[in-house]
Amino acid sequence: MNSNDYILVTKELTKSFGGLVAVNRVSISVRKNSITMLMGPNGAGKTTFVNVCTGVYRPDSGKVFFDGRDITGLPPHEIYKLGFVRTFQIPIPFQSLTVLENVLAAMNSVGENPLIAVVKRRWVRVEEDMIEKAFKIMDTVGLSRFWDLPAYKLGAAQLKMLEVARALAVGAKLIALDEPIGGVDPAYANRILTYVRDLKERFDVTFLLIEHRIDIALPYVDYVYVMDRGSVVVEGTPNEVVKNPKVIEIYIGE
Amino acid sequence: MELIPPVILYILVDFSVYLIVTLSLNLEVGYAGLPQFGRVLAVLTGALVAGAIPGRLLALMYGLPYGPEYAFYEYNYKVVDTLNTILEKNPLLSITIFIFTLVLAMVLGAVIGYLTSKPAIRLREAYLGITLLAMGDVLMLITYYYTPIIGGTTGVSVVDPFRWTGGARFYVATFTLLGIALLTFLLIERLTKSPYGRVLRAMRDSELVITVYGRDIVKLRTYTLMVGAAIASLGGALYTFYTGSCIASTYTRVTWTFWPWAFMMLGGTGNNLGVMFGVLVFVIVKTLIVMYRGLLAPYVPFDPVWLEYTFVGMAIVLIAIFRPQGLIPEKPIFTIPRKKIEELIKA
Ligand SMILES: Nc1ncnc2c1ncn2[C@@H]1O[C@H](COP(=O)(O)OP(=O)(O)OP(=O)(O)O)[C@@H](O)[C@H]1O
Ligand SMILES: [Mg+2]
Repeated sequence: MNSNDYILVTKELTKSFGGLVAVNRVSISVRKNSITMLMGPNGAGKTTFVNVCTGVYRPDSGKVFFDGRDITGLPPHEIYKLGFVRTFQIPIPFQSLTVLENVLAAMNSVGENPLIAVVKRRWVRVEEDMIEKAFKIMDTVGLSRFWDLPAYKLGAAQLKMLEVARALAVGAKLIALDEPIGGVDPAYANRILTYVRDLKERFDVTFLLIEHRIDIALPYVDYVYVMDRGSVVVEGTPNEVVKNPKVIEIYIGE
Repeated sequence: MELIPPVILYILVDFSVYLIVTLSLNLEVGYAGLPQFGRVLAVLTGALVAGAIPGRLLALMYGLPYGPEYAFYEYNYKVVDTLNTILEKNPLLSITIFIFTLVLAMVLGAVIGYLTSKPAIRLREAYLGITLLAMGDVLMLITYYYTPIIGGTTGVSVVDPFRWTGGARFYVATFTLLGIALLTFLLIERLTKSPYGRVLRAMRDSELVITVYGRDIVKLRTYTLMVGAAIASLGGALYTFYTGSCIASTYTRVTWTFWPWAFMMLGGTGNNLGVMFGVLVFVIVKTLIVMYRGLLAPYVPFDPVWLEYTFVGMAIVLIAIFRPQGLIPEKPIFTIPRKKIEELIKA
């Protein structure tokens, strides 16, 4: 295995909350330009894993490598700069910002420096380009119509889509989507996943997809890790995983 | 010669100075979500600059005492008197020293803002608020009891860059302040209707998410505390030049932190136009109270001197209960006009 083939590699990553080991020596490798799925029942530790990888939590032990670089314990904004971004399972919109502004806020602009901000012509072109890009993404996730609504007025499914839209807007190398289609109707879910797949094919981008609904997600993914009670218990291609008796047991036992 | 009633001038001056200070507060509180309970610190910084520096520079130029003794009252009024007679005949020097002082006040204000940002890295919310509040009080107490800077408990007279305008002095001074206040308004509007303003509001709504999206909140907070303090300091320097004197006890947390908070809350936190409106309403009511409190004396069970404080305090409580978003609430912001955005979508 050549480490250059992998965008994200974790080694024995562990995180506990008090006595509860939420992520227990998890070692996974996410191949570049793949859609890698992380599944597992409620409380398996999937979200905690993403939080530890993106610097929201510090791991108790273990290492995270991104694009060959040790990023263990770096703050989230530095991890973002390297090209790794994630969404939140429970949407956290910028409440008072409009849908458009939410997406724009996910991108960086030169105009965020207050000294440059006062000279409008220095950022207005960039701003227009960003707006055009934002609308393309909002079209895909079905939010264009709501572009000037403040986020607090959106419904639950729309907020999910806003999470996805923000992450896609960034142009990151690796995007971790934490249950992006949870609670979204299947037709829409398929549309989102098709778009994700399309992005993956057209650009050098990798997705770490966390999802419960295997039936919808499996056709789109290249590789699957299954977590249960903090540990990775099964890994393989989608076909291998669905046939694995352990997986069946976990999901039926649920 | 009385073109405009003095009370109107008085209101315009208060309006101008408080507009500048409250806009700076709104940038930090309304947009960035910082608990700025120490606004007075930066205002006092500007007042100190205007009170201590231009007079000393001129004294140095003209061979008068400029060291610690400049601030001692036995010398101060004489030195400043002499300097004012020089300034009276020298508009160019007056204007130069005025602009130089304002720029210096903004620079030192930014420095103070930078220093206050240091604890802001570690502290959040209430703790940061208390720290900022304490810093303001500390600087006030030091300059009130330490004589060599601005004369301690006796204060200092301040050189008058408007003296050369003679009988029109109060008009010129008032409208200069008003002009600068309106320019500040435009500057803050530009700042807040930019990607910078957007990222501040995003940080206010969720620090976690804005961090995940690549922003260093320490840097954002630092920038914002520096910009806010620079502007507040400008307000302090202008007020000092206008009044022609400077004494630390003028700069209490009540008048330069809590009042601006009340003005901002009344007008609309996170809305600059609202803030302008809030300041105007408050300043007018406050002035009327000061003018007529003598008449009210028989009807209130306490010294009517306290009426304006009571009024502002009550207003804060009532706004917080009945209209927390203020008279003109925050609205969605467009960095480029809505029309232009709609054109972009169609293309
Ligand atoms: N901040 C926290 N403090 C304490 N316990 C936590 C915290 N975050 C997660 N946990 C616990 O860690 C375990 C793993 O939670 P996590 O959210 O990572 O699971 P998950 O696989 O994402 O589940 P779901 O499918 O429900 O989203 C759970 O038992 C949860 O209660
Ligand atoms: Mg989860």
